[in-house]
Amino acid sequence: MTSMAPEQEFETQDLMINMGPQHPATHGVFRMVLQVDGEVVRDVVSHIGYMHRGGEKLSETMDFRQGIGFMDRTEYLAQFNAELSYVMAVEKLMDIEVPERSQWIRMILCELNRLSSHFMFTGAFGTDVGVFGTGFTYAFRERENILDLFEEITGDRLMYAYFRPGGLAWEVTDNFVARVREVLNVSKQGIKDMDGLLTENEIFKARTQGIGVISAADAIDWGSTGPVLRASGVPLDLRRTEPYLKYAEVDFDVPVGKVGDVYDRWLVRIEEMRQSVRIIEQCLTKLQPGPILPERMPRMLRTPPGEVYLRTEAPRGEYGIYMVSKGGNRPHRLKIRSACFANLQALRDMTIGSYVADAVVILGSLDIVLCEVDR
Amino acid sequence: MKGILKSMSVTLSTFMRKPVTREYPETHKELPERDRAFPVLLWAEEDKEPFCTGCHACERACPVECMTVLMKDNPNHKSVGGDSSRRKIIDKFWIDYGRCMRCNICVEVCNFDAISMNNTWAGHETSVYDRADLVMDLPMLLAQSRSGELKPWVAP
Amino acid sequence: MTWPLFGMDMPVVLDLFIRMNIIVILMTVMVMGLIYIERKVLARFQMRLGPTRTGPMGLLQSVADALKLVAKEDVRPTNADPWVFELAPYFVFVPIFIGFVVVPFASGLEVRVLDLGLFYLLAASSVNLVGWVMAGWGSDNRYAIIGGLRSVAQSISYELPLVLSLLAVAMVADSLNLTEIVAGQAGAPNILWQPMAFLIFFIAMIAELNRPPFDIPVGESEVVGGPFVEYSGIRWSMFFLAEYAALFIMALVGSAVFLGGWAWPFGEQLGLPWQIVLTTVKTSMMIFVVFWVRVTVPRMRIDQLMAFAWKLLLPLSFAQILVNGAVLVYELPSGLTHALLAGSGVAGVFIMMWVINRSVSRPRPRPVLIPRTDQTWEATR
Repeated sequence: MTSMAPEQEFETQDLMINMGPQHPATHGVFRMVLQVDGEVVRDVVSHIGYMHRGGEKLSETMDFRQGIGFMDRTEYLAQFNAELSYVMAVEKLMDIEVPERSQWIRMILCELNRLSSHFMFTGAFGTDVGVFGTGFTYAFRERENILDLFEEITGDRLMYAYFRPGGLAWEVTDNFVARVREVLNVSKQGIKDMDGLLTENEIFKARTQGIGVISAADAIDWGSTGPVLRASGVPLDLRRTEPYLKYAEVDFDVPVGKVGDVYDRWLVRIEEMRQSVRIIEQCLTKLQPGPILPERMPRMLRTPPGEVYLRTEAPRGEYGIYMVSKGGNRPHRLKIRSACFANLQALRDMTIGSYVADAVVILGSLDIVLCEVDR
Repeated sequence: MKGILKSMSVTLSTFMRKPVTREYPETHKELPERDRAFPVLLWAEEDKEPFCTGCHACERACPVECMTVLMKDNPNHKSVGGDSSRRKIIDKFWIDYGRCMRCNICVEVCNFDAISMNNTWAGHETSVYDRADLVMDLPMLLAQSRSGELKPWVAP
Repeated sequence: MTWPLFGMDMPVVLDLFIRMNIIVILMTVMVMGLIYIERKVLARFQMRLGPTRTGPMGLLQSVADALKLVAKEDVRPTNADPWVFELAPYFVFVPIFIGFVVVPFASGLEVRVLDLGLFYLLAASSVNLVGWVMAGWGSDNRYAIIGGLRSVAQSISYELPLVLSLLAVAMVADSLNLTEIVAGQAGAPNILWQPMAFLIFFIAMIAELNRPPFDIPVGESEVVGGPFVEYSGIRWSMFFLAEYAALFIMALVGSAVFLGGWAWPFGEQLGLPWQIVLTTVKTSMMIFVVFWVRVTVPRMRIDQLMAFAWKLLLPLSFAQILVNGAVLVYELPSGLTHALLAGSGVAGVFIMMWVINRSVSRPRPRPVLIPRTDQTWEATR
């Protein structure tokens, strides 16, 4: 908890400011009620639930193919990662072996999605610290490139519904490898631009260093995952610690921060983007032609009774699916373990004692997707 | 100061680059072949009737229940003196574009390749003033395929 | 009493009336042009196109905006203080407008030549602070109150370095009369002798204009427009008009005082059209840099903003004045005087950079990269 506030010397009355649900800096429809003393935040009460659509409950009425589309909608910036958790949970229940080629393609798409999601973060965060839209337009330019590629492969720009239990919906385009390389080259320049625009900027440093600090122990207690946890110094990356897909076969580094403030979260994410590029380049060399679905794939997806918890490393942290099946073609109960929801818990702890302007920056550094919080 | 100067050199370098804007209503981006807008029905040119037999497969598979299908006996069937091999044919078909979530499942479950995702710009530019206007009936769903504008993409 | 205008003698009142009208029209057109240029330039910095729809290359965009704003309903919140709320735009607008009286566009092309021109301009333009507070207080909106109070704190803090840096340069120029200051720069512009004063002036000018990185009173992502949040239609457009007019006037003053205005440094003075071109070019350069800074830097926080003004800019500008006084009072030979002035300025700039670097770039551990090992997670625990 930071405490930059001067001591109170005379009696004052605190002011309640309602930030959101319609506020340019609250990333969707998040609402926080700030109790401010002058410019200093004394208390934060966050209100969530404006985006609640009952996705978990709805999924109980959907069979396993229909459910995939709903996973896209819970996590609209890292759709492939959300789909991946869902289809892998089904695969684990049904004990399906996914063909090699599908696994490599899934990995490439997930890492590209991580890139586009982190680009979105860098842009939105730039706006939060007050750059007049420059970071935003840079980031969107890069994200647009990646989305164009996704559109060529899956047909949709946002709600792909492309992964299927057992593999992929259909084969990728013929020029897939060349196109991915092309996109990566553009993205590398984009990372350089974003990095050059803000990382060394003195005002950016002054705004982000030393605020929103959360210690490793606190971050673990709050259940934070992903870059927020890693910035605090805990080297927990599910791709490394419990490798799924083919992550055990590629070489990549996990950036881990030392301080746990907003600046570290920025640095960790920028470095993760570079590592994603590295992973994709390795994947491309290992991609071999082959089937995308297992040979003996049942036409109707029916799971045996049982339950499964499957987690993957989405750009915002651990995206887990807990699925109970009583047999049949749909889950009996589905629970989504949302990374943003857990990361958002720490907001109050981080914000109290900082300035109003910092509250916005700290919220931005958590990189929340409200759809995922409310589900 | 050094960092700010570096940032300013980055912005200056983008000042020199070419803008990336596409001026949308005038210049449309070329859509990939696989583009998925809303589902439309396909027209069997040789039989002068839709492919769709009204089998309800898509209606049952739709996650958001946006389709309504009614079938009838084909008046053009061989048994009644016509030249079509379809015993049953679609009578009425509605798709509520306001509900559709473009998941592609209807295309995947169709046994007759009678439905396809629209991959032209006409499928994306469907804004209307009234939600009720988004409910498409059979002639509207067939219009694109009938006029030959639509080149449906079939998953490999 | 008569004054010459365009070669004709005419009564003072009529002359004043005509000149002021020209200024009003010029200012409105200037503001519209500036808004258009700003949008285009910012767009190019961000690799966009900017306005393209209205007129050729979007040239009529500002006109369309102005028409829309005039036609828009003027909404006043129910609980707002009617007088304070409605009068606030005038208090912002008028002081900026009367500042134009002394600004020299070219030799002999100004409303009035005042001996205390610089002083008058600063005094007049700082009054608009009252309007900001009124807007913030009268709106009955918490964002507006915070914005208004931030605005007061900021404007008062940055007024001092602004005035002191101009004072430093006035000591060198030996005059407060803007026309004389410009004419005195026929040899070399003042920026050569007072680089630090120029830097301080430029920073304080951006702060006075509430532009990024000092736009905390109107910060979009924090207080959603600050004092303007409840204004709409013509009243809001008056704030906007004042903002851009202030940018224009500050850039003009900067170019006149530091960059030499219409004065041609090589040889004989040029004719009137060339003088106007010179002024325009110099002013445009200042404005371009303001835009450039705007797209690049994040917003500062209120405490950093205050610390920057009081702990760095103010002492440095005082130091510059002291040095100027010490150098000028002994009437050293001209070359030595100028060398000392310029040297002290350059040294000041380096001190400034050093202090900023020291206060911001504290040593801190960088994130470490954990490479792949063949150990499992259990083993590393």
